[in-house]
Amino acid sequence: MKNKETVLVAMSGGVDSAVALLKIIEMGYNAIGVTMKLWEYKNVGGNTLKENNCCAVESINNAKLVCERLGVPHYTIDFSEDFEKKVINNFVDEYLAGRTPNPCVRCNSYVKWDTFINQADKLGAKYIATGHYAIIEKNEKEYKIIRGRDKGKDQSYVLWGIPKETLSRTILPLGKLTKKEVRQIATENKFENAQAPESMEICFIPDNNYKRFINEYAQDKVKKISKKGVTLNEDGEKIGENDGFINYTVGQRKGIGLTNPEPLYVKEISSDKNSIIVSQKKSLFSKKCKVSNINWLNNKIELPLEAFAQIRYNGQISETKISDNKGSIFATFDKPQLAITPGQSIVFYDNNETLLGGGIIELHKS
Amino acid sequence: MIKTKNLYFDIAATTPLDLRVANHMHEINKDIYGNPSSIHQVGQKAHNIIERSRKKIAEILHCKQSEIYFTSGGSESNNIALRGVLSKGDHFITASYEHPAILEVAKYLEKNNIEVSYINPNSDGVINPEDIKKEIKSNTKLVSIMAVNNEIGTINPIEEISNICKNNKIYFHSDAVQYIGKREINLDTLNIDMLSLGAHKFYGPKGVGAIYIKSGIHINPFIFGGGQEKGIRPGTENPGLISGMCHALEIAMKDFKKNSAHIKNMETLFFKLLNETKINYKVNGNPRLDGMINITFFDYDGHSLLLNLDMKNIAISFGSACASGSAKASSALLSIGLQEEIANKTVRISIGKQITDKNIYFLIDTLKEIIQ
Repeated sequence: MKNKETVLVAMSGGVDSAVALLKIIEMGYNAIGVTMKLWEYKNVGGNTLKENNCCAVESINNAKLVCERLGVPHYTIDFSEDFEKKVINNFVDEYLAGRTPNPCVRCNSYVKWDTFINQADKLGAKYIATGHYAIIEKNEKEYKIIRGRDKGKDQSYVLWGIPKETLSRTILPLGKLTKKEVRQIATENKFENAQAPESMEICFIPDNNYKRFINEYAQDKVKKISKKGVTLNEDGEKIGENDGFINYTVGQRKGIGLTNPEPLYVKEISSDKNSIIVSQKKSLFSKKCKVSNINWLNNKIELPLEAFAQIRYNGQISETKISDNKGSIFATFDKPQLAITPGQSIVFYDNNETLLGGGIIELHKS
Repeated sequence: MIKTKNLYFDIAATTPLDLRVANHMHEINKDIYGNPSSIHQVGQKAHNIIERSRKKIAEILHCKQSEIYFTSGGSESNNIALRGVLSKGDHFITASYEHPAILEVAKYLEKNNIEVSYINPNSDGVINPEDIKKEIKSNTKLVSIMAVNNEIGTINPIEEISNICKNNKIYFHSDAVQYIGKREINLDTLNIDMLSLGAHKFYGPKGVGAIYIKSGIHINPFIFGGGQEKGIRPGTENPGLISGMCHALEIAMKDFKKNSAHIKNMETLFFKLLNETKINYKVNGNPRLDGMINITFFDYDGHSLLLNLDMKNIAISFGSACASGSAKASSALLSIGLQEEIANKTVRISIGKQITDKNIYFLIDTLKEIIQ
């Protein structure tokens, strides 16, 4: 205990954070497990029988069991008010504006890191650690995030928005491990959750049913939206009707309800007009988008900049030029990109797979 | 008594099991396996242990043996009292800072067309009997006021309230879970109709309690089964737990003077040492039970204080805990008019009989280290 630095380890109850805790202890730190309670099941509905979601009482209990097994204290900290304000409400507003939000990015950027650092200060901890698959390295005088070694699992994409000044206090112990290795470590150490299934859903929508969530959580707002929307072609001509824009996302093919010799896709959504524009696949490609909410994780960024951009989680990268046009940031892709989706994140890397920063994709009409 | 490394200042949450009680229960659990309802001698043994316990507990509380019913604990006793006598159209008066085992029942009763009035405590954390008087109506059937508040430790004027109820021909129930075992009680001279108690607050086992129900009060049961406890709380009785509770209560009342003097001394030492520091504090609630210290540290967040003390293996309490282990500012503190910001800086330190001078010195030293 004496003179050891303390690390606050974020525990979701899953296998990744359990192994992260083990690694932190093995590194010789004094660890404290902390689970952030971000939402109340009873407030968000869905399949409450599902057990592998963080914030469920069962998951918090799993985190407690792992901590006890490893001999460290565990605390649950309630951040549900902040989470609701900054993440859930934003998710609802974005969704109802016809955009496709990424609440995990939003949580990391505006809730998780700040509150964990704040909590670390309160508990006298110098560092925080999470089970994300990405690497933080110190290079010269600067800390930087690098893609995780497990390419299929790399989570650097969701970390572009974390406050830069927190990097020097963040440890990501799983960055150089593969998921397979992590499971193996968990099995060797007899962790109860070693073989728990991956949770891929948004934590507050455990049944993955966005429509149900929005309808239940934002009843009043949904009521104001007409159940009937119009379907337009690229020339703005009405070619059909639909169940309302909230049922569609950009790039969607199923459920458009029109017969056409060539399959039709959702190209654009307009919440104001409650309309969707549909087109053939080839018109869904575009070469440029606008970027808002930019966060740079590197001090030496100067625009214009050549970089590699990724526009969806686990998506392909493409060579991109980032430029500043009268205060607006634009990304111009070498190769046209399919279904660039407003509300999603665009994340920039250099050729060494270092995360440079990122932002939110905005609609750009060329 | 406690062999772990932890210093336990959370006696109001639960007490450690008295070693004598643990040994007593172990003997019974080893040997007595019969079903108390069985006709044979194996069953009779179990049955007699329960009845002997009932007799002993009745003696200690000064009531009839037939007025004691064994339950799974304070929450169940409270449910039996409220749901047992109230029905549609009745009016019920209780305090706004009762334990959830009263308040959540009240919410349920409201949904079933029972009218509920909630009395706020005064700024000292005490219920004013006059406020109850004002709420009484022609259909008021029951008043339930806790003897000692579980978060602030304040003692309510139960005798006065019970007299008001008697004069108005209203039933009076008291959740005395925090009171029994810490003070003496004489149910024979008090106008209390029903009273709840739980063994784990007086160094007895968890999962067992009792309710006193004055003869002649009709209770509608909500658990149905084999008719045990006169049908009020059916289910095979646990002789080990019941006898353990009885033994714990006997010890608590036998050692009562010694323990309360010791706890009072420890509390005096705590404040003497605290006053020698520069820590800025205020104690909430008056009059309160010795050893139950609800205290605001103006310069430190209560939840963080709990965690920091816990990392030094000192256990205290903050706010209202929930299933996941997180906590929010105590609603009882808000009910006595504390601002949320102040409630967030308030913790409960409760001193039990096992605490020594040395423990108090260590607590103060650690508080100094953290807060100053």
